[in-house]
Amino acid sequence: MVRVGWVGRIAFFAAIVAYIALPMTAVVLYSLSTRWTSNLLPDGYTLRHWREGLTETRLQQAVLRTTWMAAATLVLDVAIVVPAVYWQRVRNPRIRILTELSAAIPFVLPFVVIAFGILRLAGRYTPELLGTPWIILLGHAAIAFPFLYWAIDGAMAAAGISRLNEAAQTCGATPVQILRHVVFPNIGAGLATGGMLVFATSFGEFALVQILVGARFENVSLYSLNLLTETSSQYEKLAVLTVVVFVILFAISVAVVALNRGQAGRFLPGVRAAEGGRSE
Amino acid sequence: MSGGVRLEGISKRFGAVRALDDVSLEVAPGELVALLGPSGCGKTTLLRSVAGLEQPDSGRILVGGKDVTGAPTRKRPIGMVFQSYALFPNMTLRGNVGFPLKVRGQAVDRIADRVEELLDLVHLTDQADRFPHQVSGGQQQRAALARALAPAPEVLLLDEPLSALDAMVRTRLRDEIRRIQQVVKITALYVTHDQAEAMAMADRVAVMNRGRMEQVAPPLELYDEPTTRFSAGFVGNRNALELPVTDGHVGFGGALRVAAPNGGSGRAVAFFRPEDVRFSANGHGHPAIVEGKMFQGSVTRLHLVVEAAGETARLYADLPSREAAPLPVGAEVRVFVDAANVRVFPVDG
Amino acid sequence: MASPTRASAEPRGTAGNADTANPARATLRWVGNGLALWLPALPLLLLAIALLVAPTIELILSSVRGEAGGWTIQYWRDTLASNGGRQAISTSLRLALICATLSLLIGGPLAWLISRMLTLRRSVWLALLNVAANFGGVGLAFGYVAALGTYGMLTLALRDIGLGFDPPPIGSLTSLVLAYEYTNVPLFVLLTLPAMGILRTEWMEAAATSSATRAQFWRFVGLPMLAPFLAAGWLLIFTWSIGIYGLAYAMGAGAATIGRLRLITLQIGLTLNTGVGREERAAVLAVVLLLFATVSLVAYRIILHRALRWFG
Repeated sequence: MVRVGWVGRIAFFAAIVAYIALPMTAVVLYSLSTRWTSNLLPDGYTLRHWREGLTETRLQQAVLRTTWMAAATLVLDVAIVVPAVYWQRVRNPRIRILTELSAAIPFVLPFVVIAFGILRLAGRYTPELLGTPWIILLGHAAIAFPFLYWAIDGAMAAAGISRLNEAAQTCGATPVQILRHVVFPNIGAGLATGGMLVFATSFGEFALVQILVGARFENVSLYSLNLLTETSSQYEKLAVLTVVVFVILFAISVAVVALNRGQAGRFLPGVRAAEGGRSE
Repeated sequence: MSGGVRLEGISKRFGAVRALDDVSLEVAPGELVALLGPSGCGKTTLLRSVAGLEQPDSGRILVGGKDVTGAPTRKRPIGMVFQSYALFPNMTLRGNVGFPLKVRGQAVDRIADRVEELLDLVHLTDQADRFPHQVSGGQQQRAALARALAPAPEVLLLDEPLSALDAMVRTRLRDEIRRIQQVVKITALYVTHDQAEAMAMADRVAVMNRGRMEQVAPPLELYDEPTTRFSAGFVGNRNALELPVTDGHVGFGGALRVAAPNGGSGRAVAFFRPEDVRFSANGHGHPAIVEGKMFQGSVTRLHLVVEAAGETARLYADLPSREAAPLPVGAEVRVFVDAANVRVFPVDG
Repeated sequence: MASPTRASAEPRGTAGNADTANPARATLRWVGNGLALWLPALPLLLLAIALLVAPTIELILSSVRGEAGGWTIQYWRDTLASNGGRQAISTSLRLALICATLSLLIGGPLAWLISRMLTLRRSVWLALLNVAANFGGVGLAFGYVAALGTYGMLTLALRDIGLGFDPPPIGSLTSLVLAYEYTNVPLFVLLTLPAMGILRTEWMEAAATSSATRAQFWRFVGLPMLAPFLAAGWLLIFTWSIGIYGLAYAMGAGAATIGRLRLITLQIGLTLNTGVGREERAAVLAVVLLLFATVSLVAYRIILHRALRWFG
């Protein structure tokens, strides 16, 4: 009885590993193949596509644009989320009602719907923003902030920020000084985890970019789609791009997991972390 | 010498609970006043009000002669030591101690000198470059003290600073804190629920109960002459016996008879210390049975059961251990109370 | 922060008397206090309101705003009556239901098994799952085509072995499910993994010493305790699946069947990108999505709230 269970488990795991590995393997092989239409493995291998792809301006631009946007989103989100969470923890708990309500929206509404709403709204009030990267920056910052929010909230709870805040006040520090010297240095793990999720969300985002800006800001996702819908001979380049994107996101994921080791697992998003440590 | 502290008519409610009820206190420059009382008595709320971490509903707070009521915490000339140390984990002890000076924009070399001076005062020079999690609780608390003293505040506020430490470290650090306070001559408010601590350290002890100030007096006076029923019961580990008043006196058996303050009738509580319970060798006194013995070093505390006014009561009696040793548990003895130090309060008082 | 901190505390006997004599000053003080309470959070709140809350309200209003300016439910009636609308809603629902249930059936046991692993093996699996959870959108669509398309790797492999294999056409429901699950199962596992820790080994041992079989343990103890968290995971995957856009778009586009498979998100996207179809109808569909997602989220919170009350 136990034997069967054991074998079944191995088979289960193997199937899952195969399932996960399959698409990426196919893509990698594609990027290295000369011709591949009839057999299990490509007819021949070459590095040509990699050389051509990585040096192609359009591809480089797409990757650079996407990276810049993701980095800018990250910076913007950190700058506006950390003070808000700090303030709601040490001064005005009522802020939490609004922030958590807002944080629920990207979980509830698909990005395409949010994009639709922004399109209509901007069309009516600020049409000059449409088609510019700025609206993407704002949009990405808005849809990605919940990740940073929950990570920061947990990190502040773990660091006992309200007690440290009181101590810093008795030392004569202003809120800005406290943010700089006490808050930011002590939420490193939360910043890193949440920040990477923000970066990854912006990096892989498709709906907002397609609907709000389109061809004028060709990010990686849009470029990939173009490659996909053009003639087959572009598949190799698409494969190169996909692998590049994958490597970037993979590196981020690994870093997130590594940083989360040792941190108590939060049950599920939406569960607020209570502050540990001594109380009055 | 730093300035004093003056609290006038401080009141504070938390919802329906009255945490502070018209509390006034004057602390002279250089004096250490302990705020002593059970949990919930308001001592911490009062301290935090001086710090500005709580806002009283009414009253005035003056620090160093300046009215700071309503001023934000960071603008008050205070230094505070927390029960949980609250050292910043991202800075070394040196960085922590220098923090109040850094946020005031002082010059780097001036800060360095002052920090060295303070670290020397609290004997932490060797650990200066370690991080809080790398040093012991006692060392962290000393660093917290140095940090609080760094900006030369008018008053030092301490919120049960020793509660988180183990017993041996506690006594040592207690004496250290007192020594440093006297050397620096800084006014200090010290919150504690431990009466031994308060009595050992303070110039005066302010006993609080349910948001009110019961009695403010030097330790000896508080110990010998409690003026309220609560102080009498809280300070000094007294025995408390509730007895009916007959003829303006309370007493039981042949052991005790003292005048009661509330006239001819009613009930009163008589407080007397374990060391004032005497054993009579000649058959006078009131019968009692030894229920238990607790060896406390030079003194042994006996748990006695007596019949007083028709009810069973339990008393503590302290005897030098050598005398207590031959008494077995269950022994019948005769006791009387030395009336000189008995304090009686009416029951509703 | 030059003014007093809490708006509520006006200590008697201070300079507060001057304010009651000067109402303008009092108002200014009140505004100052209010600002002090909310200022650091304003940028975030403004961003959220402008880019999340306001667009949502705009969509809701669009779906019921008549051309002449009044309110109308005509768009709702049209959309819900039309073939296109109905198909989109039902296909999206079906897709989401299948996806959520599949990820529960596969992800649940997988999460359990991983939670029992030792650190090293566990980290490896977590890394693997993180990878899969992050590989989505257009890239995943391509990966699917490369693996299971007409000339896909697996297709060719099976054909080589002799198993004539007709892969599900790209853009069909089956293909979508297979593609969606690639992200959904890892996501489900990552979400429910922490909750697996609530089943302590002692309980399994206690059950064993009470002569219960493993199946009985699961039936009477294990599953009932895990149920709320599994349900919460199911709801999250449901909500997530019903809103997938990029992947669906790419899969449809890749096989030129984009018109054939009707999903709510695709309908909206098509309307916006090609200009075909009325925007108001797209708004109705958007609000339908919003409704589904809100119900799901509310159920999610209720379940979690109740479950966490038992565990503190």
